[in-house]
Amino acid sequence: MIEARNITRTYRTHGAFTGPRTVHALRGVDFTLPKGGAVSFIGESGCGKTTLGKILTGLETFDGGELVVDGTELSGLSPRRRAPYFRRIQMVHQDPYSALNPTRTVGQILGDPLRMRAKETGASRREQEDRAAELLELVGLQPDGVLGKYPHQLSGGQRQRVVIARALTVDPEVLIADEAVSMIDVSMRLGILSLLRDLRERLGISLLFITHDVATARYVGEGGELHVIYRGQVIERGPTDRVIQAPVHPYTQCLLSAIPVLRGIEEPGPDRLVPLASLDERTDTPGCLFAPRCPFATDACTAERPALVRLGDGAGGADDPGGADGAAGAGDAGDHRHACLHPEARHVVAVEAAV
Amino acid sequence: MTETLQTPAATEDRSAEVSVRDLTVVYRTDRGELPAVSRAGIELRAGEITGLVGESGSGKSTLALSLLNAVPAPGRIASGSVEVAGVGDVTKLEGKRLRRVRGGALGYVFQASQNSLNPLKTVGKQLLDLGRSHEVEDLQGLVRRARELAERMGLDADRVLDSYQHELSGGMRQRVGIVLALVLNARVLILDEPTTALDMISQAAVLDIVRAVHRENNLATLIVTHDMGVVSEVADRLAVMYGGRIVEHGPALEVLQRPSHPYTRALIGATARIVGDTTRARALPGRPPDLTTLATTGCVFRDRCPLASAVCEEEDPALVEWTPGRYRACHADPTGDRP
Ligand SMILES: Nc1ncnc2c1ncn2[C@@H]1O[C@H](COP(=O)(O)OP(=O)(O)OP(=O)(O)O)[C@@H](O)[C@H]1O
Ligand SMILES: Nc1ncnc2c1ncn2[C@@H]1O[C@H](COP(=O)(O)OP(=O)(O)OP(=O)(O)O)[C@@H](O)[C@H]1O
Ligand code: SF4
Ligand code: SF4
Ligand SMILES: [Mg+2]
Ligand SMILES: [Mg+2]
Repeated sequence: MIEARNITRTYRTHGAFTGPRTVHALRGVDFTLPKGGAVSFIGESGCGKTTLGKILTGLETFDGGELVVDGTELSGLSPRRRAPYFRRIQMVHQDPYSALNPTRTVGQILGDPLRMRAKETGASRREQEDRAAELLELVGLQPDGVLGKYPHQLSGGQRQRVVIARALTVDPEVLIADEAVSMIDVSMRLGILSLLRDLRERLGISLLFITHDVATARYVGEGGELHVIYRGQVIERGPTDRVIQAPVHPYTQCLLSAIPVLRGIEEPGPDRLVPLASLDERTDTPGCLFAPRCPFATDACTAERPALVRLGDGAGGADDPGGADGAAGAGDAGDHRHACLHPEARHVVAVEAAV
Repeated sequence: MTETLQTPAATEDRSAEVSVRDLTVVYRTDRGELPAVSRAGIELRAGEITGLVGESGSGKSTLALSLLNAVPAPGRIASGSVEVAGVGDVTKLEGKRLRRVRGGALGYVFQASQNSLNPLKTVGKQLLDLGRSHEVEDLQGLVRRARELAERMGLDADRVLDSYQHELSGGMRQRVGIVLALVLNARVLILDEPTTALDMISQAAVLDIVRAVHRENNLATLIVTHDMGVVSEVADRLAVMYGGRIVEHGPALEVLQRPSHPYTRALIGATARIVGDTTRARALPGRPPDLTTLATTGCVFRDRCPLASAVCEEEDPALVEWTPGRYRACHADPTGDRP
């Protein structure tokens, strides 16, 4: 289990044209990823999703907050003592084309980390080979067919399966999938998504799913949570279908409104919303980060930054709809939180057309 | 929707801006020349957006490049014609005349155009070069128009015009490519995967402006994508490609609602959806073919087709108009029954 509390990461850059600049990649992110659970992060390009994934795999440092893995707080440990915890968390990268060394066969790609792992587990050569075949079958590939092949001889979907099999060689407890299906052909996306769901169900692996394609977050299995990031801050979170069907934060509503509607099969949601302007990082936003683009902003919104509160806990006073509104089919409100002074449930995603 | 339901005769009457006939494009490989596009036919009419979808490697970009007679070596147009209204058959053009048509009457944004800007010149400089090479007299007007388009796509126009490519993000470059394609008042607009580097909000904004510019100028537009959602948002007509063939073609809404080819049906069924039961979605079995694994006899989709029968092994189905305005290439019944 991973628990992240108030993780912050700030980059200070010094460009030749722009001069010194501070980028708040993460402004205090909390979440809990239980064993076998799934947490999805969605948000616009540049909102901090990859930075979060890198911090969790130890590829990037963080400058505030706590990261607790299986009860141990990591920031107090030396890098050496931290390593075994990070081993349990493996990343599946966005691009299956550049993630695999083109000069090595699938057998070699899996063999290297298995050999390293064997130093800890004492697995024999034979056991390592069996494990390679077993992992390939687990990800839906024929071992005999692919062990001797080079990455360029595989399709995008097959390559992504190899990448996942490689991540599994070190027996991780958590997989971080950063845009793991975006670059794969549509026809093979569902296959990879159901593989991820399978790994949760059969092996109890937890999944942190990072994407800007919100619909795919619905396909990684039951009981998932959706977190919406805006400029490094989680501005809404809750059970995946609940947030999709009855979002209360205007940014979530704009993001979900932008999902293309499959016309003919679906109709646009009744409350579709468009941001007032495009993102301008240069504008100073002391209050709500979304205020310059928000159609519902009031003076109060620019005065102070709303914190993430439980829906119904009254941050928005009289116009807080609470958890009881019930947009059809949204299901249980669960632990639905938001960072908005004027939360109101709106139905923005497509509805199925009556055919 | 009803206005696109024309009789074949009416279709012939309404003149096409671009008509592709019997087009075959081959690439030279170590196994000889193999077709990436086989006997394709399609018409682009003024005022219509046509969406072209299909899996990776199905030949979408090759077909789009053929419209500009810009298929790169080792590829070549082996047969067929591409008639552009007021220009003639572009497959016969070369040299200066061809260059003038490209980017002039035919505006285009290539796939991965975020990497196609000149790294040594600012965007503004490239805009002026583009204007000069197409003999635009009012260069100030050109800059004004580019600025307006850029602002409408959510870009800071002055900053973008003063920037070199490396100073812009992938999504910004992609939008710059679209501005450059639109700025010369083309009559035909060809966009190959115009929004793949964009997040949803930027994508929606770009599709909005493509739609608006298309309508304002009564363009004939082709959008190539593998995203069914993008197509259904913007397209009036939908063409589906598989293994170098156009396997289905018709009014977009009708094709989405009642797909008549097993491949179209499978593609729609494999789309991750924001509503509905997630267990209903089905991945396509098998993998997309490439030039070397493509069947040379019979139907190219038969290895993955749930309706394949004996006749599919032998006869390559031709694209026929099975009901007014709708075309399909399949031996099975359009409703999904076996032949
Ligand atoms: N090493 C770095 N130095 C400076 N700034 C950085 C660095 N890494 C990331 N950033 C900035 O931090 C912010 C968050 O970046 P991140 O890569 O996490 O975004 P993302 O949500 O993954 O975006 P995308 O969807 O485009 O992949 C961006 O503004 C980015 O420019
Ligand atoms: N330069 C080339 N040499 C040899 N074969 C090529 C070349 N360019 C493309 N091909 C092949 O031609 C076929 C069609 O390619 P094309 O790029 O048109 O597909 P596409 O539908 O645009 O795919 P994507 O969705 O990946 O862009 C593919 O099998 C591809 O491998
Ligand atoms: S706090 Fe105000 S500005 Fe921010 S999202 Fe809510 S209504 Fe809009
Ligand atoms: S012709 Fe036969 S194999 Fe091809 S799509 Fe139709 S039914 Fe399937
Ligand atoms: Mg990222
Ligand atoms: Mg292409």
